[in-house]
Amino acid sequence: MVKELATDVLVVGAGPAGSMTAKWAAKNGARVLMIEKRQEIGSPVRCGEGMSKDWLKEVGITPGRWINVEVEGARIFSPSEKILEINEKSAGNEVGYVVERDGFDKALAIDAANAGAEVLLKTAATQVLKEGGRIVGVRAKQFGEPFEIRAAVTIGADGFESQVGRWAGLPTNLALRDMDSCLQYRMTNVDCDVRYCDFYLGKVAPGGYVWVFPKEKGLANVGIGVQLSKIQGMAEARKYLDDWIAKHPAYAKGRTIDVVGGGVSISKPVTQAAADGIMLVGDAARMIDPLTGGGIANGCIAGKICGEVAAEAVHLRTPTKEFFQKYEKGWRARLEEKLYRNWLAKEKLCSLSDETFDKIVDALQGVHLEKLTVHNILKAVHAKYPDVTREFEEFL
Amino acid sequence: MPGTPTAKKSRHIESSGQLCIYCGACVGVCPLNCIYLDETRITFDEKICTRCEICVKACPVGAIEIG
Ligand SMILES: Cc1cc2nc3c(=O)[nH]c(=O)nc-3n(C[C@H](O)[C@H](O)[C@H](O)COP(=O)(O)OP(=O)(O)OC[C@H]3O[C@@H](n4cnc5c(N)ncnc54)[C@H](O)[C@@H]3O)c2cc1C
Repeated sequence: MVKELATDVLVVGAGPAGSMTAKWAAKNGARVLMIEKRQEIGSPVRCGEGMSKDWLKEVGITPGRWINVEVEGARIFSPSEKILEINEKSAGNEVGYVVERDGFDKALAIDAANAGAEVLLKTAATQVLKEGGRIVGVRAKQFGEPFEIRAAVTIGADGFESQVGRWAGLPTNLALRDMDSCLQYRMTNVDCDVRYCDFYLGKVAPGGYVWVFPKEKGLANVGIGVQLSKIQGMAEARKYLDDWIAKHPAYAKGRTIDVVGGGVSISKPVTQAAADGIMLVGDAARMIDPLTGGGIANGCIAGKICGEVAAEAVHLRTPTKEFFQKYEKGWRARLEEKLYRNWLAKEKLCSLSDETFDKIVDALQGVHLEKLTVHNILKAVHAKYPDVTREFEEFL
Repeated sequence: MPGTPTAKKSRHIESSGQLCIYCGACVGVCPLNCIYLDETRITFDEKICTRCEICVKACPVGAIEIG
């Protein structure tokens, strides 16, 4: 007979979204089991490790030893490398910390375990269990051995791979233009500025950007995201990144000590993130900000709501799609408008020529903007290059 | 059985262990959800795979080949 486990809430994936969900479900009284296919939570890292910080309190995360540096702001480099500086005041905290992602993920998993969640490593979900159209758990393998886990509520927190939701029939497939192929080197012996996270836009990274996120003096994550619809052949993300590094002496002299890859969704919010017996959270529900490519914050914010709703559904014995509307309403109220707005902005940015990028950043040189909103930026651009703003009429 | 190519889709798809960094980009982009990643092993369900090559492009290091 196949071994069988049973729990109230089963969380598949121990990334930030999964651990947050597990923690808040356990805190609210549910029996929680979180499974993770890796042997070590948070490792290998698949992240640039930059994140804002204004949301941490909201979800109950206390800053810890996982912080590498606190940055003052971000710098956007136009194709001709004119710089637009965004600081905390003008951006509303868009950038805050560069972190040690493996340490961060472990800290969140420890929080979840301390709240009462069970954690199983080397345990991969391989399919969902369905009964009468309802998801009632997963088939899994632990150290290669198959078994079944039954749960009142199953949570797909399996990241960009997003297989649990797709096994359950939830619509999370992506269009080519809504995905980025990413590669990053952690480089030492580079001249990075620890005060800023840097973003380089334009042809250097079609439909995406090159980032330099400083971890300490001389050490930085140097990475790239390229929109999948703009990729023609093999290993293009690597070629673009290597080209960019070769052209920048401050980084060309560096040594790579770690290689990180991955996929990032840059899509509109999904239409459905829950069904009978199941909810999706984090990258699995395509919650990454389509403009910045950042997904840690949104995954954690939605994770808290997801965990609370999961526990309540267990309590009331109502793990239904109808009941999970409470989750849908909650995460959408908090995140959807911005996701949608930033998706529109991303679509626009992806269509701009290098010349237009340069004009926009040039128009903002020396201009003091009280707050860096799309509207304020376009007003400033309009003053210098009225022809450029014609392309943006829908935003005004 | 995974790994058994059908006559129609006889072109073999594989990920090179020497290049692969096991990042999972291919898994997430596959429109048919037919790629699996263990920590250090990628497998393709060749019966489902239509050789659309989206994973080939998404792979940041060029590890996937259809031959
Ligand atoms: C190169 C790169 C750079 C990035 N840079 C940034 C950045 O600077 N800032 C930022 O905010 N975001 C960044 N992101 C995005 C960010 O990494 C994700 O949004 C974030 O990790 C999402 O958290 P999650 O919990 O949803 O998923 P993940 O962190 O991906 O966690 C999912 C977990 O599920 C596990 N899993 C998957 N399938 C199964 C299964 N079948 N069974 C059991 N376990 C499973 C995985 O092993 C993994 O541990 C970057 C992404 C990439 C690829």
